[in-house]
Amino acid sequence: MARVYVSSVINGRSDRVWARVRDFNGLPGWHPGIAESRIENGEPSDKIGCVRDFRLRNGDRIREKLLGLSDFDLFCTYSILESPMGVDNYVATLRLTPITDGERTFAEWTAEFDCSPEREAELISNIGGGVFQGGFDALKRQFGG
Amino acid sequence: MIRIVRSTIIDAPTDRVWAFLRDFNGHDRWHPAVAKSAIERNQSADKIGCVRRFFLRDGSELRERLLTLSDLEQTFSYCLIDTPVPLFNYVAHVRLVPVTDGDRTFWDWRCTFTTRKGQEAEMTRMVGEDIYDAGFAAVRTHLSASSATEGRA
Repeated sequence: MARVYVSSVINGRSDRVWARVRDFNGLPGWHPGIAESRIENGEPSDKIGCVRDFRLRNGDRIREKLLGLSDFDLFCTYSILESPMGVDNYVATLRLTPITDGERTFAEWTAEFDCSPEREAELISNIGGGVFQGGFDALKRQFGG
Repeated sequence: MIRIVRSTIIDAPTDRVWAFLRDFNGHDRWHPAVAKSAIERNQSADKIGCVRRFFLRDGSELRERLLTLSDLEQTFSYCLIDTPVPLFNYVAHVRLVPVTDGDRTFWDWRCTFTTRKGQEAEMTRMVGEDIYDAGFAAVRTHLSASSATEGRA
């Protein structure tokens, strides 16, 4: 089982950052790597079990299922149903925690998955350094630091 | 039940912050409110169940018991056993988490307690500001001082 952990500090209150990221269909609105997204079967994007079908800017298409969403604990958990990445049992969580010292947010993004051993290092780097840190860098820009 | 949550970002890797915090008897070396501390019965400060008996600068004497300590999770928790102030059922948790973006530390310090009716605001301010916020500031100062020393070495 490979594990990815990336965390950062966003210069905005956690309720404001959460408002930006809680929409399971909203990745194109804040993540620079995502071109378009839709929720299958016309379901609301905060219905647990709904599936987002989205396309990356490089053309890759990924389908992910919403497993958990909490407006109280500020986290969102999802799994990959279909992707060209070559991962199995992929489950990821994006979690926000208020930093009481200043109006800032501690943001964590974790993933666990299985893959062939020779691809593990590359996948960890692409997912952690590319997708997750890329998302945090975008949020940091959007919230001014 | 009163619940206090304080958190901050320390501009140092978690290992350096943890080196300060994991010593349950070390708070008299960094916390400005603590004058003197000793572990009872000559036990080791990382033995679960050990009791630290310490004096604040104002002379008041407190005893706290170590409930959990994890080097893997970089967390510990403790409860108050004896105190001259009305803090009852006080259990506190300290948790460090790496900020991988910049190799910094997220430090979360929280507790729950009960107190006498009418003293809620006073106890909330004392714990949140005099103990937790002051502790954050003190560790930050000590870490930057020790960085400066390393820089000269």
